[in-house]
Amino acid sequence: MEEESGEELGLDRSTPKDFHFYHMDLYDSEDRLQLFPEENTRMRKEVVQAEMANESTGVGDGNAQRDLREEVEELVHLHGLEDDHELGDEFVDENMPRMGVSEYPPYGLKRRDPAREQRDWRLSGEAAEAEDLGFGGWGSAGQCQDLREVYRYTHGRASEEYECYVIPEEEDEEEAADVFCVTCKTPIRAFQKVFDEHKEHEVIPLNEALESAKDEIHKNMYKLEKQIIDMENFANHLEEVFITVEENFGKQEQNFESHYNEILETLAQKYEEKIQALGEKKKEKLEALYGQLVSCGENLDTCKELMETIEEMCHEEKVDFIKDAVAMADRLGRFLKTKTDVEISAQPDFEDQNLDFSDVEQLMDSINTIPAPSAPVINPQAPNSATGSSVRVCWSLYSDDTVESYQLSYRPVQDSSPGKDQAAPSPPIIKTKEIRSCEEAVLICWESGNLNPVDSYTVELTQAESPEASGVTESVVGIPTCETLVQLQPGQSYIIYVRALNMGGPSVRSEPATVHTIGSYFRLNKDTCHPWLTISQDGLMIVRSERSTPTREPPPRDTHFTRCVAVMGNLIPVRGHHYWEVEVNEHFDYTVGVAFEDVPKKEDLGANCLSWCMRHTFASLRHKYEFLHNGTTPDIRITVPPKKIGILLDYENSKLSFFNVDLSQHLYTFSCQLHKFVHPCFSLEKPGCLKIHNGISMPKHVTFY
Amino acid sequence: MALKQISSNKCFGGLQKVFEHDSVELNCKMKFAVYLPPKAETGKCPVLYWLSGLTCTEQNFISKSGYHQAASEHGLVVIAPDTSPRGCNIKGEDESWDFGTGAGFYVDATEDPWKTNYRMYSYITEELPQLINANFPVDPQRTSIFGHSMGGHGALICALKNPGKYKSVSAFAPICNPVLCPWGKKAFSGYLGTDQSKWKAYDATHLVKSYPGSQLDILIDQGKDDQFLLDGQLLPDNFIAACTEKKIPVVFRLQEGYDHSYYFIATFITDHIRHHAKYLNA
Repeated sequence: MEEESGEELGLDRSTPKDFHFYHMDLYDSEDRLQLFPEENTRMRKEVVQAEMANESTGVGDGNAQRDLREEVEELVHLHGLEDDHELGDEFVDENMPRMGVSEYPPYGLKRRDPAREQRDWRLSGEAAEAEDLGFGGWGSAGQCQDLREVYRYTHGRASEEYECYVIPEEEDEEEAADVFCVTCKTPIRAFQKVFDEHKEHEVIPLNEALESAKDEIHKNMYKLEKQIIDMENFANHLEEVFITVEENFGKQEQNFESHYNEILETLAQKYEEKIQALGEKKKEKLEALYGQLVSCGENLDTCKELMETIEEMCHEEKVDFIKDAVAMADRLGRFLKTKTDVEISAQPDFEDQNLDFSDVEQLMDSINTIPAPSAPVINPQAPNSATGSSVRVCWSLYSDDTVESYQLSYRPVQDSSPGKDQAAPSPPIIKTKEIRSCEEAVLICWESGNLNPVDSYTVELTQAESPEASGVTESVVGIPTCETLVQLQPGQSYIIYVRALNMGGPSVRSEPATVHTIGSYFRLNKDTCHPWLTISQDGLMIVRSERSTPTREPPPRDTHFTRCVAVMGNLIPVRGHHYWEVEVNEHFDYTVGVAFEDVPKKEDLGANCLSWCMRHTFASLRHKYEFLHNGTTPDIRITVPPKKIGILLDYENSKLSFFNVDLSQHLYTFSCQLHKFVHPCFSLEKPGCLKIHNGISMPKHVTFY
Repeated sequence: MALKQISSNKCFGGLQKVFEHDSVELNCKMKFAVYLPPKAETGKCPVLYWLSGLTCTEQNFISKSGYHQAASEHGLVVIAPDTSPRGCNIKGEDESWDFGTGAGFYVDATEDPWKTNYRMYSYITEELPQLINANFPVDPQRTSIFGHSMGGHGALICALKNPGKYKSVSAFAPICNPVLCPWGKKAFSGYLGTDQSKWKAYDATHLVKSYPGSQLDILIDQGKDDQFLLDGQLLPDNFIAACTEKKIPVVFRLQEGYDHSYYFIATFITDHIRHHAKYLNA
């Protein structure tokens, strides 16, 4: 839509049609114009025409007129095209119509103010429009330039300094030459006022008229902008609804299809059954009838035979005839005595079939009922999901099912038979120096302590305050590897043991390790350390000595920093808040911040998009502070060099903040997309040292950020 | 001292009100805006004073800066007075937009015909706080001050001339060194006469050089594309240099692309309110 109207705007400007003064009263009402996009652009066209019409109508072509027209065109250009593109770009890029709506109405409203206030100011008895031009702040001489400046500033920059601005007069002293006849709505020369035509008419200075016309146009343009936004939002909303309709249709279609398929299948089945039954019946009947037919035939044969014999007999000699006739008579008598069954055994009619469709009806009715859900599938037990007295069960369900609730039941199973004569394993050894913790969790790792592989490990924790006897021990069982992340309560101290487990049973407890869930604890990662840096024993101090580089360079490994003299810490991979402090010296050049694990080690910290940091450079007695990410920094000046820097890493709000701890002064906050975990990073650009302080809970002033 | 309520609007759960009163220092009727956060219904709240810049009234800040949400969340009462006495009928008071009406420069004038009415410094530091403390649920021990341009200048000098009175101070594009810029020279010569030693008493850069008081934590935001910065009216570098010398903590942020307008103020107002809340709600 933006492109459309922009093009139309261009078209109009190149082919001006008849000039007519477009009556602006139509837009005085505050009612929203209920228009469709096509009409919007049409109006814009007309507004443009009105702009053009404003000055020219049939008056002499003084230079003043031409300048004015240029200025007006400039104005239209600034407001018309620029606005469109601004809006259009923002919408295309942001793709968030809701945000657009909330941003712009105030913008629209704000811009009305300067116009109104400006007019008020002008009406408040300020007669000297001609004189009052001396705005020191403006300082520019060229008048066309001025006008453009003026409008560039009002366009989106309504400051209080500018509210009282006045359009500098184009030609101060010749102002009287151009006036505007309100009655005829045309600009005229002042002398024309004297003539008959305009004698009685009301006349105001041209600039005023120009002003008010421009104001009207501004107002309308703001309204149009708003309209554009609203229609765009509506269109987007419609699209969404479209998609939803399609989706819903799809679901319904599927539902119906499956139901009807079921019904059809049932019907087909019934049909088959019935047909088969009928076929059987037919066979029965036919067989019975056939049987009868056969016996009939036999009977018939016998009769015929007897007949023939009798006929033959009749042709015999008297004596033979008498002999046979007696025998025949017996035979006949006997034969005729046997009954012949002339009843038809099977009726040709079939019974009326009763079609029982009750189950089909049931199916039809059930088309809208929710089917019972399928059985869920229980996931296999995950490691670390059980303690001595509880277990975490997870299951999955089919997405097509509608489920209201679940029922979980359990029963203990028989203890499996105890292991054979296998010895229990030795206890593991916790790597206490590598414990990382924060307020909500601890990451512990240990050495197996066994040559042979073990089945699993168990971690046991007790809160340190409560005495051993009554302390509740929480255990995490089934840990397959030599490290685990355990969730803890903030502000507590815990004692942790680890056991190894195999068929022979559990080992004894390892040596304990203590964890305090105050602040975050981490140690520096020696694997990342640049060869020129030394890390102290406790893993918290970094030193770059004055001595020149050691002659024997160790072979560079991927994990070490090579270009930047830096080292990274190992922060616990838990999203939440992490706070630590670094003690610095204001004469050292240092960089502190955070970086992703895979930050390029051949680059400086902050030079890429995988690290965020604060850099201090001290040169020529001046302190320079930079907040670097992706090679750029904002322009910030700090007057008191911090001696201790507090760093707050907030995963939830995606922020990294730096503070001057001693002054409780906030220095800077980055907004950073933290899709993976980051680690603290430190570098020394010149010889010096940094001392890290861990395990500090967030000071109150930090909580504001 | 009777307060007449002019308007009241609910905003972010609190109330944005405008009052009028007869000012003793300024000898005229004065309006001021006050925002009462939701917390003010149940207890006393800290107060934050906003001083506006040239040509502003008590309306600009409350309608354009978008400060209400932050003020409501942090539970701060925010006062926005006018920038000069009004309707005093002094000859020449409406001649320029940078001197006279709407341009009080937060000084107590010593020259005629201004000295009777143009006493904005005393109004802001004495009369108005007394009025506020007496009429609104505020804690007079927890006050801070901030402002824009001429108001930034006002905030800085009020804080520097009254060590310990304000818990924190911040400014948007302040006039840091008025004795050296055209605006300051015009205003001070008009209000204070030609004796430049009197001018220094109202110049933040000079005041810092002899600031004896407790630690102030100053936050300054300055638009990089600010026309007045380029015209040499604001001179923040001088102020920063003086603060560095005297070890007054300042964080000065030069914001790329921003100008002198209320759009700039609206962008960073939340940071400033949080800065003050840190000290007022400590």
